[in-house]
Amino acid sequence: MDSPIIYSRSRLTLTFVYLFAALIGIFVFFPFVWMILTSLKTETEALKIPVIWLPERPTLAAYITMWLRKNYATYFFNSTVVSISTAAVSTLLGAMAGYGFSRFALRGRGLLMGFILTTQMLPGVLVVGPYFRILAGLGLYDTRTGLIIAFLTICLPFATWMLKGFIDGIPSELDEAAMVDGCSRFRIFFTIILPLVRPGMVATMLFAFLLAWGDLLWVQTLTNSEAMVTVTLAIARTVQEFYVNWPELMAGALMGGLPGIVLYLLLQRWLVQGLTAGAIKQ
Amino acid sequence: MRALRLRDRHLGYVFIAPTILMLVVVLAYPAYHSLRMSLAPRGRPGFTLDQYITLLHDGLFGQVIWQTAVFVAASVALHVVVGLSMALVLNRPMWGRTGIRILALLPWVVPDVVAGIIWKWILNPLYGVLNDALLRLGLIAAPVDWLTDSSLVLPSVILANVWRGFPFIMIIFLAGLQSIPLELYEAAAIDGGGSLQRFRHVTLPGLRRVFIVALALDTIWETRRFGLIQAMTGGGPGTLSEVLSTQVFKQYFQFFKFEYASAMAIAMTVLLLLVSIPYVRMVVRQE
Amino acid sequence: MRKDPSSLPRRLMATLVVVLVAGTFIPAQAGEAVTLRFSNWHLVETVWGRSLREAISIFESQNPGIRITAEPISYGEKEPRYQAECAARRMPDVVKLHNFSLPMFFELGCAADLTPFIQREGRGFLDPWYEFPIKMLTHDGKLKAMPGDFMSMVLVYNREMFRAAGLDPNRPPKTWAEFVDYTKRLTRDSTGDGRIDQWGFSIPASKNPGLPLRIAPFVWSFGADFLTPDGRRSAMNTPEFQRAFNFIVELATVHKVLPPGVTTFGPGDVRTQMAHSRVAMKIGSGWSYPIINNINPALRAATTLEATAVPVAPGSKPITAAWLSGWIMSPHTRHPDAAWRFIKFLTSKETEKKFFLDNRVISSRKDVNVLPMVQQDKFSRVIVSELKNARLEPFIREWPEIFDAFATALQEAITGAKTPERALADAHARANAALGAR
Repeated sequence: MDSPIIYSRSRLTLTFVYLFAALIGIFVFFPFVWMILTSLKTETEALKIPVIWLPERPTLAAYITMWLRKNYATYFFNSTVVSISTAAVSTLLGAMAGYGFSRFALRGRGLLMGFILTTQMLPGVLVVGPYFRILAGLGLYDTRTGLIIAFLTICLPFATWMLKGFIDGIPSELDEAAMVDGCSRFRIFFTIILPLVRPGMVATMLFAFLLAWGDLLWVQTLTNSEAMVTVTLAIARTVQEFYVNWPELMAGALMGGLPGIVLYLLLQRWLVQGLTAGAIKQ
Repeated sequence: MRALRLRDRHLGYVFIAPTILMLVVVLAYPAYHSLRMSLAPRGRPGFTLDQYITLLHDGLFGQVIWQTAVFVAASVALHVVVGLSMALVLNRPMWGRTGIRILALLPWVVPDVVAGIIWKWILNPLYGVLNDALLRLGLIAAPVDWLTDSSLVLPSVILANVWRGFPFIMIIFLAGLQSIPLELYEAAAIDGGGSLQRFRHVTLPGLRRVFIVALALDTIWETRRFGLIQAMTGGGPGTLSEVLSTQVFKQYFQFFKFEYASAMAIAMTVLLLLVSIPYVRMVVRQE
Repeated sequence: MRKDPSSLPRRLMATLVVVLVAGTFIPAQAGEAVTLRFSNWHLVETVWGRSLREAISIFESQNPGIRITAEPISYGEKEPRYQAECAARRMPDVVKLHNFSLPMFFELGCAADLTPFIQREGRGFLDPWYEFPIKMLTHDGKLKAMPGDFMSMVLVYNREMFRAAGLDPNRPPKTWAEFVDYTKRLTRDSTGDGRIDQWGFSIPASKNPGLPLRIAPFVWSFGADFLTPDGRRSAMNTPEFQRAFNFIVELATVHKVLPPGVTTFGPGDVRTQMAHSRVAMKIGSGWSYPIINNINPALRAATTLEATAVPVAPGSKPITAAWLSGWIMSPHTRHPDAAWRFIKFLTSKETEKKFFLDNRVISSRKDVNVLPMVQQDKFSRVIVSELKNARLEPFIREWPEIFDAFATALQEAITGAKTPERALADAHARANAALGAR
């Protein structure tokens, strides 16, 4: 979709754009460069004063230790199942709700939207206790299902609001034209609206995925067995009260971030192409 | 049009039902529980407003609200600045765009606790790379106490939080930019508008709705942000980087003052509600 | 594309259910055996974790009818989790806590009364233990926890750094005046590049439960205390307290013998500094040597590090702080007898010997601490002999909040956000507010 007419290509603009990108780039990327460099050092090197920038003898020991010391295969499996389920379900239900709020003159719409947002406002610390009791009562304590339900309730409000915003951007004349052609609302939703809001859905999905992936509070409270440990919890636990091994922590954080990147790579095609393609078709 | 909307209104409820039901079932109890707890006197039945009265007289609470407001306002504003800039840059064709997009997304795939620990490490006065870099570049004469200087601690935490949170805004804007029909730009180009005009008259209005939603959500999330601050400073030095979420955590899980923590949480929710009413109105109002 | 829209919600709900069920994990049930849930923060540590898992296997082989499932938890998450679990009557059957939060769990009703089990064991069962821990763990006349490790805080120092600074490694500081003098000489630029890279002393001055153990010896040896003798009011407004407080603050602000950023350090940071010879002295205990050794074996901690009594103020008696842990049984356990067997095993002489050998923690059992293996260990000998001078930080429910007020003042004074006098006055007021209900 990179249409040359969108941006002027004057030298000045280009220079400005690249300069700005470079500045922000340093801010954004430097911490990662530092994480990677630290992860390749030995602990003694990481704790040198003054700071040593490049490891003298780069080593992958931190990665190997992190991987071997604990049962990361299980942790990755847990995190993946929970995060993907959360992302898929919350995006679908959120899109439905977003469509409902966007296209129907519902009674008390403002109140309902406000209610949905309000559910995001209670501090997690206060919510985990009662959640714990609910899940324990349902026999879902220390299960992936319990975690998914917990994450859904965090992601659904976000997904609903976000996708309502995106659906609002689609002219409702599209729906009306389709209805005149005899399409049902559900058919319109699935065949017209969903393809058009694909960038929004992808963004929502990514966010829900990462929210579930990166959570600590809920995993700590709603699970207790080794079999349910997620990647984030495992990384956080390497920061034991008694001592932090910096190279290992950095290696763990970098490894733990990989699935998010992979998901983004898989989804980014739709993130950048989705809607414009739809709009042109129309 | 209005007639059409009303005709199948019942169908609308079908669309929103799963979400509403799920939220009511799972969140009504915690909300009720918190409210009841905040009104409960310690160790006996009945209800009391004691906790709220204590809250009003707690000097620390006022300070914490102010610090929370600074933290949230600065974080959200800078998220928008950095996120929007990155989205605009990365929306244009350039060499290695996909690679840069992935790199720009990286801060977001790091859990916030871990982001806090990483930044604490970067800002560490002994082994930290930031002081070392600035010293080598000659930008500072002596190491800076990023997390222990009373005037620098909040800005340092905000800096880390900007890094952690801007990709959300960037992704939303990127998706939003993609959803602005190309025809609008073409029309603007034919009318002879410069790039600034196109930004003002086409890009910004096109992003408006998504922008409001993103702003509302970011405001709420940053108010609840906990792991990053807890990991970086634990609210210190003293109480200078204490925010509502860290205070609620302390009161609840460290001091075990469940009633007081609940009152604090309810107050926090009410404040957030007040802040978000304009957002809700803007988003709900259509056409 | 489906023609019938009315079935769609059902389809969606079905999808939802399928996804949720797909994610469910049904734990396998273990036959007829009684299964006990056991949680302990040491399970996530390398050395302690191994030791505990070995102990569990020994217990299981001795008690074929009982199986133990270990639930690892980190130090910082244990209190929140146990509290939530206790409120839902789902606390693990046996957990370990320490004196910082034990009183709260007693008051919240989250610890079963062990007195009936003790009575069933017969007279003299508790005789091998020191009286002090038993007394502390007795709440309203009922024993609510079995004592675990019991250690005094001591001054840990690095011989090599003493030698390099021209100090006699066999003559550690005995008084606070000497201590200041030593720390100044130990704070230096060891590489000659014009930057200070070694410090005399370090202390974890972030707000963490490890700080009171390391700060209280300073406070007490100046003749001050956090609370009045009846425990009802704050005593942080006494001149002695202010002197002790200023002494600590001035180590950072006047003598500059603490590493920069001290208010952000946790115990792990200080151990890492010690392990890499960045600091020469710290307050530590039995656990210090194995953990430091694990961080940096090249230090050869066994020979390089030394332990000695905490310095005293002129004219005052030696005094230090004690660490005490306790094994708690869940008040809601469905297998109280099995849980008691496990606690009895964990606190038996044999197991405590194992914990000492593996982790160098000192027992609250007198009969373990007199053993040659304890007495011949140069660190343990000091820690055991200092137990007679050791006392516990206030053992009341409000303590975490009172100490938070103190730590806040300490950080404010060290970073210069407030004057030491102002900071301490504010802490005094906050502590009294916390104690208000008493």
